[in-house]
Amino acid sequence: MATGSFVPKEGHELVLTRVFDAPRELVFKAWTDPKRVAEWWGPRGFTNPVCELDVRPGGAILIHMRGPDGTVYPMTGVYQEVVEPERIVFTSAALDAAGNPMFELLTTVTFAEQGGKTKQILRARVIESTAQAAPYLAGMEAGWTQSLERLVSYVTKHAKE
Amino acid sequence: MPSAPDHLSTTLAALSDPTRRAILARLAGGEATVTELAAPFAMSMPAVSRHLKVLEHAGLITRAREAQWRPCRISAAPLKDVAEWLAHYQRFWTESLDRLDEYLQDVQKKEKKHGHGKLRAKRRA
Repeated sequence: MATGSFVPKEGHELVLTRVFDAPRELVFKAWTDPKRVAEWWGPRGFTNPVCELDVRPGGAILIHMRGPDGTVYPMTGVYQEVVEPERIVFTSAALDAAGNPMFELLTTVTFAEQGGKTKQILRARVIESTAQAAPYLAGMEAGWTQSLERLVSYVTKHAKE
Repeated sequence: MPSAPDHLSTTLAALSDPTRRAILARLAGGEATVTELAAPFAMSMPAVSRHLKVLEHAGLITRAREAQWRPCRISAAPLKDVAEWLAHYQRFWTESLDRLDEYLQDVQKKEKKHGHGKLRAKRRA
């Protein structure tokens, strides 16, 4: 299933909710201390030889993810909001297989205390594209996620044609 | 991959408009002419044609060249790229957050064992 545990919220966001058995301050640190972020960022088997985080509004994000086969995937971004210990907002460029930026994503991560545990909600949405596609992306808020899911289910049925 | 580097953004851009998605949804049920596609929308034929051009440019539809009424047909390949990207993006976050969970458990275990004493010793030093 391509969409898996992503829940489209209000039709335009990808939303992932997790409850961590850890205090909120620790979870926030795990997101903002570069050494800690390098420990968990990326799919299984990936390492992060470069992890530079200037954690303040306007500050830059630079992470080089290294896959199990040695391929390095650079990722860049900019923090929009940093409210300790409850909220981080950042933009990042989605890269294609060749490492070229395709379009920008806005990711919002919120942390709420929940009886000694931490409820984390991560929301991501596409905010703009490369110059070529930009004029058409203005209407992106209009529910593309749900539609994509319908289209994706169409594709999984027809892709083999 | 035969597609240009930002082929995916072109596809996403084409999908960003509700009218175009409605047109695609209609075409998923079978091919249709421009007149048939325009019928449910309060929109001029040129406006519908412009949407079709965007979809065609993104490779999401194909139009028969020979016939005068040029029926439109949905083309699944670019949607497959979108599906692949979504799957890749989902894997990135699902596995990252699994690893974050493990990291948090790990760090707390270490702190319970000997971390507090060490931290205090470090701070005093």
